[in-house]
Amino acid sequence: MASFATATRLTTRLVSRRVTQDAATRGFQTSAASLAAQNFTMPALSPTMTEGNIASWKIKEGDSFSAGDVLLEIETDKASMDVEAAEDGILMKIMQGDGSKNIQVGSRIGVFAEPDDDISKLEIPADEKPSPKEAKKETQAPQESQQPAPAKAAGGQRQPKSGPKAPPQKYPLYPSVEHLVKEHKLDESAISDMTPTGPGGRLLKGDVLAYLGTVSPNRPEEIKARFVHNSHLDLSNIKIAAPKEAPKKATKTTEVPIPEDSVVTLPVSLAAVIEVQERIEKKLGTFLPLSTFIARATELANDELPLPSNYRPTADELFNQVLGLDKVGPKGSRGRYLPQISALPKPSFTGVAPKPKAKVDIIDFLASQTKKTTSKPKRPSLQPGISTTDNVFSLTVPKAEEKRAQVFLQKVKAVLEAEPGRLVL
Amino acid sequence: MLASRLIPRTAVRSVCRSQSSLPTVVSPLSRWRRGYASQADEKDLVIIGGGVAGYVAAIKAGQEGLKVACIEKRGSLGGTCLNVGCIPSKSLLNNSHLYHQILHDTKNRGIEVGDVKLNLQAMMKAKETSVTGLTKGIEFLFKKNGVEYIKGTGSFASENEVKVQLNDGGETSVVGKNILIATGSEATPFPGLEIDEKRVITSTGALSLDKVPEKMIVIGGGIIGLEMGSVWSRLGAKVTVVEFLDQIGGPGMDAEIAKQAQKLLKKQGIEFKLGTKVVTGDKSGETVKLEVDSAKGGKPETLDADVVLVAIGRRPYTTGLGLENIGLEIDERGRVVIDSEYRTKASHIRCIGDVTFGPMLAHKAEEEAVAAVEYIKKGYGHVNYGVIPSVMYTHPEVAWVGQNEQELKKDKIPYKIGTFPFSANSRAKTNLDTEGLVKMIADPETDRLLGCHIIGPNAGEMIAEATLALEYGASTEDIARTCHAHPTLAEAFKEAAMATYSKAIHY
Repeated sequence: MASFATATRLTTRLVSRRVTQDAATRGFQTSAASLAAQNFTMPALSPTMTEGNIASWKIKEGDSFSAGDVLLEIETDKASMDVEAAEDGILMKIMQGDGSKNIQVGSRIGVFAEPDDDISKLEIPADEKPSPKEAKKETQAPQESQQPAPAKAAGGQRQPKSGPKAPPQKYPLYPSVEHLVKEHKLDESAISDMTPTGPGGRLLKGDVLAYLGTVSPNRPEEIKARFVHNSHLDLSNIKIAAPKEAPKKATKTTEVPIPEDSVVTLPVSLAAVIEVQERIEKKLGTFLPLSTFIARATELANDELPLPSNYRPTADELFNQVLGLDKVGPKGSRGRYLPQISALPKPSFTGVAPKPKAKVDIIDFLASQTKKTTSKPKRPSLQPGISTTDNVFSLTVPKAEEKRAQVFLQKVKAVLEAEPGRLVL
Repeated sequence: MLASRLIPRTAVRSVCRSQSSLPTVVSPLSRWRRGYASQADEKDLVIIGGGVAGYVAAIKAGQEGLKVACIEKRGSLGGTCLNVGCIPSKSLLNNSHLYHQILHDTKNRGIEVGDVKLNLQAMMKAKETSVTGLTKGIEFLFKKNGVEYIKGTGSFASENEVKVQLNDGGETSVVGKNILIATGSEATPFPGLEIDEKRVITSTGALSLDKVPEKMIVIGGGIIGLEMGSVWSRLGAKVTVVEFLDQIGGPGMDAEIAKQAQKLLKKQGIEFKLGTKVVTGDKSGETVKLEVDSAKGGKPETLDADVVLVAIGRRPYTTGLGLENIGLEIDERGRVVIDSEYRTKASHIRCIGDVTFGPMLAHKAEEEAVAAVEYIKKGYGHVNYGVIPSVMYTHPEVAWVGQNEQELKKDKIPYKIGTFPFSANSRAKTNLDTEGLVKMIADPETDRLLGCHIIGPNAGEMIAEATLALEYGASTEDIARTCHAHPTLAEAFKEAAMATYSKAIHY
């Protein structure tokens, strides 16, 4: 029965949390089960984002959208990002149009309706936040929004019949309490005069009766005392010496270690590759760049790598383990590694490239270079012997994947050194 | 051509590479692939016992990000409850009830069944299937939550170190910043009557008899005795329950409800000898003979049976745990002494479940497990011991939560009562299962619910509503003003609430 304002506030919070967690899938939620329209507030697209600009809305007022549609583009000082819808809905109104600047996170930028709502009949909800200019910082926002919430929530619930003022109870009143309140035409000030004795400060029927004087005023407290007593384990009659009350030691958990990266390297000779390359060129007249060989070797080597030591198996895998089925199928998983080749062979072999001074990532280098190469195939003849120089293939991986990376590099080495011809033929 | 097709892909990949490490950064929780603990391995929490208390604590701790190991010697997780308690007994209760119904009841419902045969082996197999499914399920949850499962017998080597005698042979030890004792309980043996689990059995043996005994005596008319007595009575045994007290169902059951339960069970063919003491037992002959004596000094009597079920209660199990090595205290009934935060004398060693104070119930142990882990992790946990439901799964079921009439009388607390019989409930009528009633006890002035006692069909499920009401401090009027679907058995619950604060409509 929470008022819809509260629901929206929750939504906003949900959004910001979600977005912080996963910047890759940005979205917002409009899942509150409310028939009314809902405010859509400026989402925080990164943990540090406090304000942003609206570059442009990608849909117009009155347009329906479905989950995954891009709603608008938001610019921050760092980047501009698309905001996608997490659920279906209708854009009822745009509050901050294209090009609006410096909008605080959490302030209203638009109003959404549920997919089936008739937006001509829906009311635009009140903006529960101060106007963007007044809002200070995101860190203050949660406190601000929580303060008025109880009053609003309860007010919304009671409004239809009794009156506009809000009782201090933060949740729907118990049916019996509500009944007594209506029956005796009590107002909110009377409710706030009552002493709640229920769990968590809830107002019980007995509290109202005590207030009305129908039962003895102490009765609710007496029962409460008994319930409190019963709620504890009876440790009173232990027949041996009671243990000493040790000082409470709140156990600190170990801090989450920052995953360390480690570098795995392996020297690989490209002699065989170059030999094959030459043979192919002679026979077929086609020049195959080294990157082709390496890309294909990488492709092959990525198959069925041993799992990283910190691999989290899926629920299915776990269950198969319990049942002993895990030994049946293939054990590894496909990798996504691309080796860095740091020590380039002597210039004569990559004559196409400008002589690199520092360490160059050969993949980047080759990838961009080949475009040129294809247009102007200018190749010096390769001198055998020089390219047998070992090239160092390296990978930077999280510590847990060391073994996996090593296996990968060994496979790359095996393929490139043993029979590179099979990669292309 | 080939080249030009491949190059862009390589280029794309090289762009991806800088990000590719992102998704593979895996949280530090997943340590399950490690082998068994070595001495150097210090855990945040070591749990001794993989029963309901232990396994729930282990999973919870895993979820909270603690490095946790759980030691269990049984060979399967879940403890007494899953292996030789609640779960297998519910399988037998349900299936024996079906059998009994087909034999005696379906004809009245217009279902005529020909030759009905009992295949006890198949019934036991069905039980095993349920048990294995559930215990394997826990093993799966251990893996999922990164709990290290050590199969072996743990004992304290020092205040922080637990030695484990591995089931597969060998020994290891685990060091824990925190240690949780959750070793559970075992059936209390009857003095002078040696348990062999064939003729003199505990609940464990009662779950796997290889044939239906002709005559069976149950010593102890508590929940376990009545449930197992029901099973074998339905399958054809002549069952006699001998109980020392004047009431069945144990101390928590409301006296009025207990009387009604006894009446209904008697109708099903179970004999009761209440207020009767078993003096001695002798199992040397063909049958097991018991000398019984009226507790109030009547004439002595000799009973004999093929099988005697000893169900006089359970006692904490700490054998071989090495509590004495580290000077932990137990009380006169063998319970490990704890404070309100489950700490023993050594504040990093906590203890929960059957092995310590409170009712020996799986759901109580579960609550404590969560609370204990929360104390360790967050410094605060909570179990509301005043609102722990109890259920007896006989037919009809008996369930209760909160206080009963005799307790309130004893403490001179005023109360009012409202009842509603299932015979006035439409759903029970259509089910032809109308025995029992819902009884509510509330404060006469404020109407706050004090306790609820149900005997009748589905009582065990219905008690959840009373538990929720108690937890929230509801009055019976609150329950009565809450809509209940029609036609349901739960309407009887609502009507009982109406009867308590005002008047029931249908009675």
